[in-house]
Amino acid sequence: MTAEAKAAAPREYPWRIPANWWLRNRHYFLYIAREFTVVPIALWLLWLLVEIKRAGDGRAHYAPHGSTALVVFSVITLLFALYHSYTFLSLAGVIIHVKVLDRPVPSRVIVLAQFALWAVASVVVGFALIWFAR
Amino acid sequence: MSTETRQRRSVAYAHLIYWFLFAQGGVVAAVLVPAHVLIQGILGPLGIVPVVDRHYDTWVAMLGNPIVKLYLLVLIAVPFFHIAHRVRYLLTDFGIKAAKSLPAQVVFYGGAVLVTLVTIWVLLTTVPISLG
Repeated sequence: MTAEAKAAAPREYPWRIPANWWLRNRHYFLYIAREFTVVPIALWLLWLLVEIKRAGDGRAHYAPHGSTALVVFSVITLLFALYHSYTFLSLAGVIIHVKVLDRPVPSRVIVLAQFALWAVASVVVGFALIWFAR
Repeated sequence: MSTETRQRRSVAYAHLIYWFLFAQGGVVAAVLVPAHVLIQGILGPLGIVPVVDRHYDTWVAMLGNPIVKLYLLVLIAVPFFHIAHRVRYLLTDFGIKAAKSLPAQVVFYGGAVLVTLVTIWVLLTTVPISLG
């Protein structure tokens, strides 16, 4: 392209998102944190799958994971998992619309029901994991 | 029914299944995962409470139960349909346009299907089903 043609060609200003856009605002940051929660959760679930697979090693070779690295990884995952639970279950109040006796159930009640479900499920899971270890 | 109408219906049907899996994946991850992480990933390894996977006998006894197998399939596989979607959009948010392409969809949602198949395989082959 000659210099003349270059000058005549329409200039393009493609809009590019700055790499740090999500650090500029607290809401953006929390949004990205919320979306990111699934990454440690995914890795942790894959670890659980490995822990299940290891049961196939046989009694003599079975050794459960118990390193400091696993505990640190789990603490980080737990923080993200709790944030996922908090944001996802809170969202239920916006998404779910139920009517009882022709009156809409207030979103606060729906959110409370979701958190109650989470509490009950956690107690049941925790109980089973500990009770059957005896 | 015209071809167009039929096509539109089939697309909506796929969306229905996908959004159902996405939502359920979010629910499973929200309601069940934190307790597992806390107990199996932190309290168990630290020796604060006895946990079923710390000992071979208790772990195998639990894994042989068909209801537990079904539960673990839901616990592990279903969240991946949620995860796949969120990671794809996370990449899009960071300016990776390719994450929106059809090949990316195949990779991400196909990945969730793959995790499901691997989980089924692990659950069925690791410890035989026992009702005792």
